[in-house]
Amino acid sequence: MKRSLEKFYDWLNERVELDDLIKFMGKKYVPVHRHSIWYYFGGVSLFLFIIQVVTGILLLMYYKGSEEFAFESIQFIMSKVQFGWLIRSIHSWTANLFILTAMIHMFSVFFEKSYRKPREITWLTGMLMFFLALAFGFSGYLLPWNELAYFATKVGTDIAGVVPLVGKPIMMFLRGGEEVTGATLSRFFGFHVAVFPGIFTVLLGIHLLLIQRQGMSEPLSSEHEPVSEQKRMPFFPNFLLRDLLLWLIVLNLLAILAVFFPWELGKKADAFAAAPAGIKPEWYFLFMFQSLKYIPGKLWIFDGEVFGIMLFGAAGLLWMLVPFWDRKSARGEKNRFITYIGLFVIFYIIILTIIGWAT
Amino acid sequence: MQAHQSKRDFLKVILGGSLLAWAGTILYPILAYLKPPSQAEAEVSSVKAGKLSDIEKDSGTIIKFGSKPVILLRTAAGDLRAFSATCTHLDCTVQYRKDFGLIWCACHNGKYDINGRNVSGPPPRPLDEYKVNIQGGEVFISKRS
Amino acid sequence: MGNMKLRPGMLVAALLAAAVCRGSAAAPDQCVTCHEALDDAPSKLFKHDVHFKKGLSCADCHGGNPRSDDAETAMSKKEGFIGAPKGDEISKTCAACHADPEAMRKFGSQLPTNQWENLQASVHGKLSTTGKEHIVQCTTCHSAHGIVHVKDPSSPVSPLHVVETCTKCHANAALMRSYNPSMPVDQLDKYRTSVHGIRNAKGDPNTAECASCHGSHDIRSAKDVKSRVYATNIPATCAHCHSNAALMKAYRIPTDQFEKFSRSVHGVALLQKNDVGAPACNSCHGNHGAAPPGVESVSKVCGTCHALNADLFSSSPHKKAFDDRKLPECETCHGNHEIVAASDSLLGVAAGATCGRCHTEKESTKGFLAARSMRTLTDSLVNFEQHARTLIDEAEQKGMEVSEAKFRLRDVHQARMQSRTMVHAFNEDKFHDAIQKGLVVAAAVSQQGQQAIDEYYFRRFGLGFATIIITILASSLYLYIKRLERKQARSESDRSGS
Repeated sequence: MKRSLEKFYDWLNERVELDDLIKFMGKKYVPVHRHSIWYYFGGVSLFLFIIQVVTGILLLMYYKGSEEFAFESIQFIMSKVQFGWLIRSIHSWTANLFILTAMIHMFSVFFEKSYRKPREITWLTGMLMFFLALAFGFSGYLLPWNELAYFATKVGTDIAGVVPLVGKPIMMFLRGGEEVTGATLSRFFGFHVAVFPGIFTVLLGIHLLLIQRQGMSEPLSSEHEPVSEQKRMPFFPNFLLRDLLLWLIVLNLLAILAVFFPWELGKKADAFAAAPAGIKPEWYFLFMFQSLKYIPGKLWIFDGEVFGIMLFGAAGLLWMLVPFWDRKSARGEKNRFITYIGLFVIFYIIILTIIGWAT
Repeated sequence: MQAHQSKRDFLKVILGGSLLAWAGTILYPILAYLKPPSQAEAEVSSVKAGKLSDIEKDSGTIIKFGSKPVILLRTAAGDLRAFSATCTHLDCTVQYRKDFGLIWCACHNGKYDINGRNVSGPPPRPLDEYKVNIQGGEVFISKRS
Repeated sequence: MGNMKLRPGMLVAALLAAAVCRGSAAAPDQCVTCHEALDDAPSKLFKHDVHFKKGLSCADCHGGNPRSDDAETAMSKKEGFIGAPKGDEISKTCAACHADPEAMRKFGSQLPTNQWENLQASVHGKLSTTGKEHIVQCTTCHSAHGIVHVKDPSSPVSPLHVVETCTKCHANAALMRSYNPSMPVDQLDKYRTSVHGIRNAKGDPNTAECASCHGSHDIRSAKDVKSRVYATNIPATCAHCHSNAALMKAYRIPTDQFEKFSRSVHGVALLQKNDVGAPACNSCHGNHGAAPPGVESVSKVCGTCHALNADLFSSSPHKKAFDDRKLPECETCHGNHEIVAASDSLLGVAAGATCGRCHTEKESTKGFLAARSMRTLTDSLVNFEQHARTLIDEAEQKGMEVSEAKFRLRDVHQARMQSRTMVHAFNEDKFHDAIQKGLVVAAAVSQQGQQAIDEYYFRRFGLGFATIIITILASSLYLYIKRLERKQARSESDRSGS
């Protein structure tokens, strides 16, 4: 067995020069310090993304993306296809967990200020991927074409339409028309399985390539320590095996969730029915949704909702551009201010999500 | 050294074996999933009842609305009506009888006119009406709010 | 002086009506004296009138001075003469006394005083085709001058004559058409074929006639909810006599029909649920031509609503068998007044089942076996349906998706309903087919339900199995990592050490 593997390696090496690559990868080290644990969240996010791709492709075998068949096709998957219930529930659960781990990953990077020079592009691609993850969530949510999804999409695209100037055209583009219809479903399906995965893969490629090239970022505090004092472990095989171990446990967790907390399907969307009372978006949008409720109807000359949306837009932009305005971290200095901002944001999100969920 | 060797091998055996077993628990569901089920396609329940042009005048069909049957009528004049197809007498499923020009229940000969009103036989109440909308040539049935 | 004959005509103000009723002295009534001499019909009739006998004079209704023998004086406007009242004036004149309890008491009368009020609220109180007065006045039925007590056999409103009085208008097709073209005018003909009508013709004053059911002054349209002959009120109207034991004793008719009917499925529907589609007494017995249906026509009568069952019965072997034995078809098994919801227990040969009453094992073996088999089939369908339903419920409780199977259960229910109708063909094969349809679906649904439940357990079992494997894999991987790192640490220290 080993012999044939060696032979295969030699054959490949002659043509692709793998030796250089192997040597390079062998030199990759992961710093070991008290914040090392956060390093794992990037990997788990990647793992969950892979799960989404695999389960997504499997679902594509049976899902029908038209208004007439979408709901029934998922019902079919849940009840008639062998293990269809498992694939579908894992896909739905993973979607949520993926966003959660991505958020944790993002915040840990933020607090560690790992976005600082030379890793600005890594941060940017990461933020773009995060926004794409939210877009994945929003578009995927509609695909079952159930009551909840239909109205959530209606409300969500309505909010998009509120943005001044470009809002209406954006809304029409998203909806494929004036209202949420089968045309909307087709578009969202296209975005979800083709457009977003394509863009995401490119961004992911850049993100991973940069990490390989630049290595793992170390905490600001340890930058001043001599190299000999810094504890490290080789990426291959140590960190990788640990990563795989964690991924194994996460996989088991997903299976347990799928069996004991299967994802619901609800009722088929009825365009002519009234919206169910107390409709709210998925948890990852909830804090924004809830915030909008607190803004008064009119602020000076601005419409309250528009103001709120623009405010969130501006906040998101600032957050994404942090490597460029955080001068201190670029210089290698501690920046308490950033930490406080990060803490504020976390608490804000958590508290408003809880309020939004409880009311 | 000997003890270490056997321990090493034992661990490697367990690792290898469980890895294979694990691969099996992943592959088996995926392969079973890909095998087409006996019922090839999802059944249409349809809140959407089809194209208007496909529905004949003076005819009625039963459509599954969620878990309930709904009868969709197209009158001789071309109007569309939809009613609950559950007879108000003892819950049998009604049908449209072209020869009567009425909705008829096979169980006890109950009759409803094309407005869903019980006109003959045991049914005590009319049939619940459903809303019919036509959007872009397609017929949609929805509950009366 | 105008025509003394009563005809709805122009109204004359009758302000003196009250004064008129004060009654006159015991002096001879000059009106009568004069008019009798003139051979006037009303005055002749008036001699027999109960009002005359009570001491009232012509002037008490017509006004004028009854003591004067001079025509001019007696019938002068100054003396309050109003001539022959026309239209509503007539009834108002009667009501002047008859609606006044004080006045009635003065004459020692026990008569009710609500007739005018009731008449105005009744269907007869509506405006006539001229639009100037009510359709009917008191004198329309009671006549004007020879009024006698209602119990007097010569009264036009006595039980033996009221039929003629009513049909004077109600059998007149042209007249009825001017008010209600869809109203029938054949009531009298039908009535004369009924038991009530036959007895009435023979001179029985106790049997039902028009007023018995429709009322007298307070007659309302049958479509009026307050009418005595509105669907939900009919049973009580019939029961007024037919539940009166003393009255029915002479005719030897039982008096438990109303009570039984009230308990029946028809009675509950009509009287408690107000379902006017349910039959009242007249639906099966007829109203004007009321009579119990004959033996051979019971299934036709029941069949006006229960058409399928009646058809099946009529083409079944039971039709001839029952008719020959003078058994009243549907009633034999289902009863007549106290028809309760048919349950499965009616079918079969067990105690309490109807089939076994005739089809005994020894004397009617074929029928006995058929009945028993049909009951067994029904029971098996009921059990299968229940079993399927239980399985589906359990699967649903467990969170499994079984909406399609649940939908199919309707077919089982439908088969059961249709088999209960098919019983009336009394044909084992046909019945078996109807049941079979349900059994097949029930079996399929049960299977689906069981599969769903099995799947539920399979998932949990599968998860447990996979978790065990993953745990073994994870633990061995962990140990491997630890071992690897120990090796690395050792080689590190070896390198830096020695």
